[in-house]
Amino acid sequence: MRSVHPAQPSADPMLLARRSPLRTFEESRFFSLTLLLPILIFFVALNVIPTLWMIGMSFYNYSLMSAAPPTFLGADNFVKIYNDSDLWSAFGRTFVFVVLAVGLETTLGVLLGFLFWGSSNMPGRRLALTLLFVPMVVTPVASGLFWRLIYEPTFGVANYLLQQISGQKIDFLTNIDWAFGAVLFVDIWMWTPFMILMTLAALGSVPKAELEAAEVDRLTAWQRLWHVIWPHGKFILMLGILLRTIDAYKTTDLVFLMTNGGPGNITELIALKLYRYAFASLNIGFSSALAVILLLIAIAFTSIYLWVLHLRRYREGV
Amino acid sequence: MQPSRTRIAFYYSLLWLVALLFFLPVFWILMASFKTPDDILAVPPQFLFQPTLDNIVSMLTRPNTIPYFINSLFLSILSVTLALVVSFLAAYTLSRYKFRATNFLMFLILSTRMVPAAAFVVPIFQMYNAFQWRNQFGVLMLYTMFSIPFSLWILKGFIDGVSPRYDETGFVNGASRLHVMFRVVLPQVRPGLIAAFIFNLIFVWNEFLLNFILGGPGTQMIPYALAVGLTDSGGNVDWAFVASLSTGYVLLPTLMIFFFQKYLLVGMTFGTVRGEV
Repeated sequence: MRSVHPAQPSADPMLLARRSPLRTFEESRFFSLTLLLPILIFFVALNVIPTLWMIGMSFYNYSLMSAAPPTFLGADNFVKIYNDSDLWSAFGRTFVFVVLAVGLETTLGVLLGFLFWGSSNMPGRRLALTLLFVPMVVTPVASGLFWRLIYEPTFGVANYLLQQISGQKIDFLTNIDWAFGAVLFVDIWMWTPFMILMTLAALGSVPKAELEAAEVDRLTAWQRLWHVIWPHGKFILMLGILLRTIDAYKTTDLVFLMTNGGPGNITELIALKLYRYAFASLNIGFSSALAVILLLIAIAFTSIYLWVLHLRRYREGV
Repeated sequence: MQPSRTRIAFYYSLLWLVALLFFLPVFWILMASFKTPDDILAVPPQFLFQPTLDNIVSMLTRPNTIPYFINSLFLSILSVTLALVVSFLAAYTLSRYKFRATNFLMFLILSTRMVPAAAFVVPIFQMYNAFQWRNQFGVLMLYTMFSIPFSLWILKGFIDGVSPRYDETGFVNGASRLHVMFRVVLPQVRPGLIAAFIFNLIFVWNEFLLNFILGGPGTQMIPYALAVGLTDSGGNVDWAFVASLSTGYVLLPTLMIFFFQKYLLVGMTFGTVRGEV
């Protein structure tokens, strides 16, 4: 450990005489550890210990439903997960959900982001952006409910409009063909604004001077995009996509409130599945094993995210 | 060549249209909170109606509503404040004393926010049961932990941006380290403090799953109320209640992003990307 030594106070004897015990402590090497202590307590008590406990439990057969004491299983829980076709299909569904949601949100977000690029002098811009960004700061519980009201088959406004157009009604959230799309659509509504935000940030990170130079040199729109905007903007856009991927993979509340995984298990994403194992069947051992796998996936995503962040620091020096 | 005024007007109206389209579903529920229950259930949907305050009044007079709002405010403000204090101390330390494990620690702490809540709620649930922490204190601590990663990341970023020369100047002039931390560095990272405060407030205000699983009386917040108070005694969804409670609930995040819009980017990226939109 190398600590940055503060410059010594002047050698004025008066000052030295007034050195309080607090001051001596502040300059000792334990001081930095003291400052870190609170965060370490929180981190160890509420993250490290539960995580270790969870890893431990994942090797046990432990259910709150039975009074039998936990028995050690070794890797059996993981073998069971590997052989569980139901879980594989939940992973598959989550994968499709993440790819479609993030793909569509990025496409729409980038297009709309470019549209909003020149809006800095727009009258009422702040209000317009607030309205635009509201979907992403509303809790998924509430937005799930909003859309249940809209999708509602008898008096929902979506079905009213649909009936005007096609003459029939669809109960979006219980229809096997529509439920997944209906949930996906809500996710896109919620998070496209986030990709717009990231696109605006990416465009904002392009130096003005280079854009002006491109204008002077009469670059075509494509050249400008490829040679000027992309090299600077790609990092922030990548960060946005990664954050969205992580978040989409975590989706629980939204499906919990909208469909609760149904109809059948069409919208049962992996996080909801885990919740079900843990709190409906109270199978702690098995759900801990699944949680360990989800934890590893999250750590992998975080590593990629930080790698891109470092890449950006390295290339752009920010 | 200046674009003509009509083109600019067209462009701006297009942008407004996009913004309004995204807001429309929220607006629909806001309208529902001013409709009579019959109007909400009317077929075809009522676009024009006689507004009423009945729903809001009856929502507020339900015995649990005000406590839910108080719980939400109390838990979110207190946990975020606590997280800010803890994170500021840590962020300063990690920024100024160069530990070898700094990057790894920052990575670990950030990764705790990237895990689905369902994954770590199982051990927390058991632990809280064992220690009997399923009360205000326990939930408060959990939300503090929940707010720490983002606060730490954003504050460390801001403190890294304050040159250590400020610290040195302070030391040369006889200031103590605590004095430098709180009187020299703290005022310069005020934007970071505000951003961390606002966005953690919104995140805690929005949190549902942990609250739903771990909560008890005294900790239940509005999203919990929305999910649980959903149905009336007859088993049907009580839309008048849901709509009016949502309206009250949505107010805080909306006002926050209106007044603190310039912190939105840093807020939504956990402090890893800075800039303005």
